[in-house]
Amino acid sequence: MSTAAPLEVRNLTKRFPLGGTLHRASVHAVDDVSFELRPGTITALVGESGSGKSTVARLLARLYSPTAGTVLFEGGDLSAVRRRRDVLHYRSHVQIIFQDPFASLNPVKTVRYHLERPLRIHHIVPHDQLEERVHELLQDAGLVPPAEIAAKYPHELSGGQRQRVAIARALAVEPKVVLADEPTSMLDVSIRIGILNLMLKLKEEHEIAFLYVTHDLASARYIADDILVMYAGQIVERGPAEEVLAEPLHPYTRLLLSAAPDSAVGLKATRIEQRRGLAAAAVDPPEGCRFVGRCPLAVAVCSELTPALIEAHPGRAARCHVTAPAPGLSTTPIERKS
Amino acid sequence: MTSAARQVETAPMTRVAGEALLELRHLTVEYGFGGSRVRAVDGVDLEIRAGEIVGLAGESGCGKTTVANAAMQILRPPAHLTGGSILFQGEDLVGKSVEELRRFRWRNVSMVFQSAMNALNPVMRVGDQFVDTMRAHERIDRRRALRRAAELLELVGIDRSRVRAYPHELSGGMRQRVIIAIALSLNPELLILDEPTTALDVVVQREILQQIEALKRDFGFAVLFITHDLSLLLEFADRIAIMYAGEIVESAPAALLAADPRHPYTQGLLQSFPPLSGPKLPLTGIPGSPPDLRNPPAGCRFHPRCPHCLPERPGLYLRQTAERPRLREIQAGHQVACHLVEEGVA
Amino acid sequence: MAQLDPIALDLPAAAPRRHARGRLQVPGWLALLLRNPKSRLGLIMIGFIVIVALIAPLISVAHPNDFNILAIRQAPSWHHLFGTTDQGSDIFSQVVLGARRSLLLGAAAGLLATALAALLGITAAYSGGIVDEGINFLTNIFLTIPPIPLLVVVSSYLKDRGMGTMILVLALVLWAFEARILRGQALSLKNRDFVLAAKSAGEPTWRIVLSELMPNMISRIAAAFVLVFYIALLTDAGLEFLGLGDMAKTSWGVTLYWAQTNSTVLQGEWWPFFFPGAALAFTVLGLVLVLAGIDEVSNPRLRAERARRRLMRGLLVAFVGGRAFARTEKAS
Repeated sequence: MSTAAPLEVRNLTKRFPLGGTLHRASVHAVDDVSFELRPGTITALVGESGSGKSTVARLLARLYSPTAGTVLFEGGDLSAVRRRRDVLHYRSHVQIIFQDPFASLNPVKTVRYHLERPLRIHHIVPHDQLEERVHELLQDAGLVPPAEIAAKYPHELSGGQRQRVAIARALAVEPKVVLADEPTSMLDVSIRIGILNLMLKLKEEHEIAFLYVTHDLASARYIADDILVMYAGQIVERGPAEEVLAEPLHPYTRLLLSAAPDSAVGLKATRIEQRRGLAAAAVDPPEGCRFVGRCPLAVAVCSELTPALIEAHPGRAARCHVTAPAPGLSTTPIERKS
Repeated sequence: MTSAARQVETAPMTRVAGEALLELRHLTVEYGFGGSRVRAVDGVDLEIRAGEIVGLAGESGCGKTTVANAAMQILRPPAHLTGGSILFQGEDLVGKSVEELRRFRWRNVSMVFQSAMNALNPVMRVGDQFVDTMRAHERIDRRRALRRAAELLELVGIDRSRVRAYPHELSGGMRQRVIIAIALSLNPELLILDEPTTALDVVVQREILQQIEALKRDFGFAVLFITHDLSLLLEFADRIAIMYAGEIVESAPAALLAADPRHPYTQGLLQSFPPLSGPKLPLTGIPGSPPDLRNPPAGCRFHPRCPHCLPERPGLYLRQTAERPRLREIQAGHQVACHLVEEGVA
Repeated sequence: MAQLDPIALDLPAAAPRRHARGRLQVPGWLALLLRNPKSRLGLIMIGFIVIVALIAPLISVAHPNDFNILAIRQAPSWHHLFGTTDQGSDIFSQVVLGARRSLLLGAAAGLLATALAALLGITAAYSGGIVDEGINFLTNIFLTIPPIPLLVVVSSYLKDRGMGTMILVLALVLWAFEARILRGQALSLKNRDFVLAAKSAGEPTWRIVLSELMPNMISRIAAAFVLVFYIALLTDAGLEFLGLGDMAKTSWGVTLYWAQTNSTVLQGEWWPFFFPGAALAFTVLGLVLVLAGIDEVSNPRLRAERARRRLMRGLLVAFVGGRAFARTEKAS
């Protein structure tokens, strides 16, 4: 197994301008995000709606262009890629799966068309092997009988089947990286596990690096090797999935964990004591921790200085002055912020 | 919060704990007529007692929203009731006049619809929407109504001053709370919630549900909680009924359902929620997808997806594919509709 | 055109339908249009005109514009179904042959204008940036030109007033309006997941415009075509009526022109005016009905409205009928 990271993200930032006559405000959708995706691993990007996680996926899929920061693909800077041939090369290795199975397929084209197009564009197989390859892809994604499915139109398939077609399409180009943007949140509950298991299988068989964007911690735990927790556009915690969920460092991760329903536990005794706030990206946020308004551990420095992502233990990092303080920073806890 | 509760002007509650508040007996609802009609709800029996939280769980197309709409008598064509009775405190709602039903709705039973956040009128202030609802059902002057609105907002955890706010000025979670407050404004005995928190963040979801629990303790209303998220019901509901393809397949107290699920669909459904704690085991979910109700499978509707429906056991197989299982009580409070359970095989 | 919502996305006409084996394979869109009463009637009307145009040479006289002193100003009769003009020409022949010109001209102008509008509008929407700005600028120029005065001026100056020129001029004048509308709809489609997925698969822009966006805008494009068709028809007839067309050709507008110039109505001869006018009105009505049908089929809300109106009508009939029945009962 190669250890080189096919995709490396450094200080990725995306701001969307808001209309304003005099003062141009901007929404900091993604702010200073850094991570890497390694082959044969599933990295979960967990956050609530508006936290910026989908934007990260779309930035990596080159559907948006970053405001700042770099994305390195196979060592090369992505923003330097301009020629169509190079863009195509990138697209043949980085694919995206969308959330809405009803919207991600063209309603007037057959399943076969959807799978043939990427095969043709990237010349994956010679012309006479197209049909065979399409059937193989469908079978790999658990859609049988492939010949029958290939002839169908999207509206003739169920939500779960459509999502499998989307996965098969992504796999057609034999990508190294697959960005899955909430692939199961619009599916029926009993079908979700099937899709998650499919992702696990593909990760192992094809050594693909998955980015699994989700708001559901439980499913992240089920399939992910590593977890990145996002809040208001920033990564606030990262580390191996099991460790982060067993012993979360960042107060937001702790909040998420205590709020999420756990099918393994009956009644949750702990009551959430916290102030209201939004996990969504802030408009022109001031200096300081973005979670400070809701944080039970907040101290004075939290509203003055934006915390950096500090590695508190090997492989585990958090963006918090209190639980992962930068070396040398004094965090003498003053009276608790009310 | 309790002091605010006492300030709200309400008639004293006379509820006997444990009496049946809402009873659905063999409820049947169809969409359309003639050849292309679909039986969305097929002979559903459900009972909600005063003061309890009953969860109705199922996936898309199982008919749970239709059940709620039928209970409120707000079925819209082409949906129509074709059989069964809806008894509220002993009286059958089917056959009541339009005026009686109008008075019944909102006073005795109120409902929070799916994606209700968008049910607020965008050009009316929040307080005025309360006033509208209240004055539609009782004689109350505007000032008193607004005062009650402010109190209710406080009850659901929103600052009183927001009574003058417009819906777009509030976040999604706050709008949902407003809707719940409006639903409680006339002090119903039963609150029906249809996927009340699906579009909300997990943190806000928990807050709102805890708020509803607290309100329930103070006011004593019963709750019918409809959702696809079984893991939520396991935490919040007293009793849970599982719906599949228009029928109730299992119903039990929440703890019992989690510990001893009998119907293969319930077992599969519980298997579909990966745990956040404890050992990590591979899960299987349920293969296939819910049936097309225009042409439901013969016999047990779940049999095409059931891991225990095998031709190798011909006697049982015959029953599973030809005969519809009936809901039977197997232990106290635990009912299952399954041939396997009847045969004592499961 | 206010009814058609350029942002309306539900296009049931787009999703191809499967038909039972053995039944005639009617394309989905045609089946939908035939099911809707308005477009069904419209299609029948247009179909009728098309048939007439096709068999025109068989049912008309050899030289419809010939003068025939012996047959001047004859009222409609079995010999001359629509009567004759002041010069003795058979109006029936002029009308049926004129149908050819009208249909050809309308269809060609419609096709050209719609193709231009679709290609430019959709590309502008999808590409954005400088391409969008450039095409918008072009569209604006053409939009600000008032069509009728332009046509009048162009027609008066052009030596060649043949059909080709007319088609070109009409298309150039009418494409801009539709381009704007199609751009609007494409804008709402371009960020749909399946378009993004195609982009992510590596599809080039031209393929996205042609294979992903256009096929999902069929109903709007079809509506654009029908609209340009009947506007072209009316405009052409109007120009000819003003004497700015090719007076040698056989067409409805020319027949009307001669009817006007010879002041036939003042002499009590209604037929030189009536028949070509009726033919024109009939064709335009058919097109408008097809347009309304496309409207209803693409906009589910209009379908619901129609259902409600039908229900109301039914109730009214029931009510009135019931009372009438009660009255007769009482009377007996």
